[in-house]
Amino acid sequence: MKRRDPLPDMQKRSFLKKVLNGTIAGALYLVYPMNASGFEWPEQIPGVREAYDIHAQKFAFIVDITRCIGCGSCCVADKQEYNVPDGNYRTWVERYVKGFSDQIYVDCPDGGLSGYQTPRSDIQEEIRDTFFVPKLCNMCKEAPCVQVCPVGATFTTPDGFVLVDEKRCVGCAYCIQACPYSVRFIHPKTRVVEKCTWCYHRIRKGLLPACVDVCPTGARKFGSLRDETSEVYKILKGPGVLTVLRKEMGTWPALYYKGARMEVI
Amino acid sequence: MGFSYKMRLILVCLGIFVVAWVGFLFKSLLLPDSFGLYGHYRADAIIEAVEVPVRHGTNRSCFKCHPFEAKIHKEGLHRTISCEFCHGPYADHVTSDKKIGTLPVRTGKQITTLCLRCHNSQIMARSEAVIKTVAMPDHLRNQQVKLTHDCNQCHHVHAPLNYINRAKQITGLMEKGE
Repeated sequence: MKRRDPLPDMQKRSFLKKVLNGTIAGALYLVYPMNASGFEWPEQIPGVREAYDIHAQKFAFIVDITRCIGCGSCCVADKQEYNVPDGNYRTWVERYVKGFSDQIYVDCPDGGLSGYQTPRSDIQEEIRDTFFVPKLCNMCKEAPCVQVCPVGATFTTPDGFVLVDEKRCVGCAYCIQACPYSVRFIHPKTRVVEKCTWCYHRIRKGLLPACVDVCPTGARKFGSLRDETSEVYKILKGPGVLTVLRKEMGTWPALYYKGARMEVI
Repeated sequence: MGFSYKMRLILVCLGIFVVAWVGFLFKSLLLPDSFGLYGHYRADAIIEAVEVPVRHGTNRSCFKCHPFEAKIHKEGLHRTISCEFCHGPYADHVTSDKKIGTLPVRTGKQITTLCLRCHNSQIMARSEAVIKTVAMPDHLRNQQVKLTHDCNQCHHVHAPLNYINRAKQITGLMEKGE
């Protein structure tokens, strides 16, 4: 007598069901576009999305040195956001080591991209202080790079950003020499100047700059000065000591440092 | 010269007019549109700067499709860490193609390296108020585990104290709710 499986119909049915489900799921998976269209970006900077008046905006960036741990998240995020070529940096994190003789040792291996895994071993004297200083574009009000550009490719927008027009830039690198903060470089492929834009495209969509968004300790802060509830507005209005880099050059940066030692340049 | 004084004056004026007109014509031909709307630059460049694609999402973009990880991550001490710092950018994962890109997952010693980017106390620049740091391999020795251990053998990478606190609760070393 032919041996029969217990409940063969059930097995067959469940098998068919599974196959059919799998096929439908697989087909949907291939057909349904998995793009960002279904996702709504959170509004991290309030009041930017609706009715952006380019003449009535003012933004500030604050770097809190006392909170920076030198993890390099910002550098990684920046490289990912713009596919920055190796060896060039739109933003980077420097390590300052101060000895008891007041000698300053600064290093920045790989721009901080791979973080700071080991302490410096080449310093002979006793170390007094170590801190990290993130660097990025200062968005000067009186930008030297804008003044020297011979073709009008670098400009200050009415809302206070210093941007580069990639189509007009001829790659003369005059602005690279003019920038006191060394934030500019020539892109090796396009041969035009590139620099930190404070993620202008993200700001106009209401998102924070990539480096601010990823910072785990809140060392980087960004916000609108037209919004009185924003953190940067409160810090700028408050009594805390804020400094700018190379104040004596008269560039009037919109990037402020909190807790920066006087040795930071 | 056979021209009268008046005629010469007219010719000179005409000449200036023609030269100026040709000059303005060349200027308008050579200058791109929207140049000078806000200043000595092409105003359309601002629009181009706005249209740069966003590659780096926010944590919320990841949590939308990964609720399980989101729950652990949001409750843990690592809640301020960006997903994309360890896993790669959102744009590489969710593309306009019909395929989801695979993102790197760190394993073994890579995880220890990643942890020590922030948690290495030997750097001497990390304030206790901001981050809890350890020295390796002293930490492994103090906790009486093998020196070959990776961080994630005790610590959940998304919520570093979850397992530790749970173990303490079970063994009675910590009261519930402490």
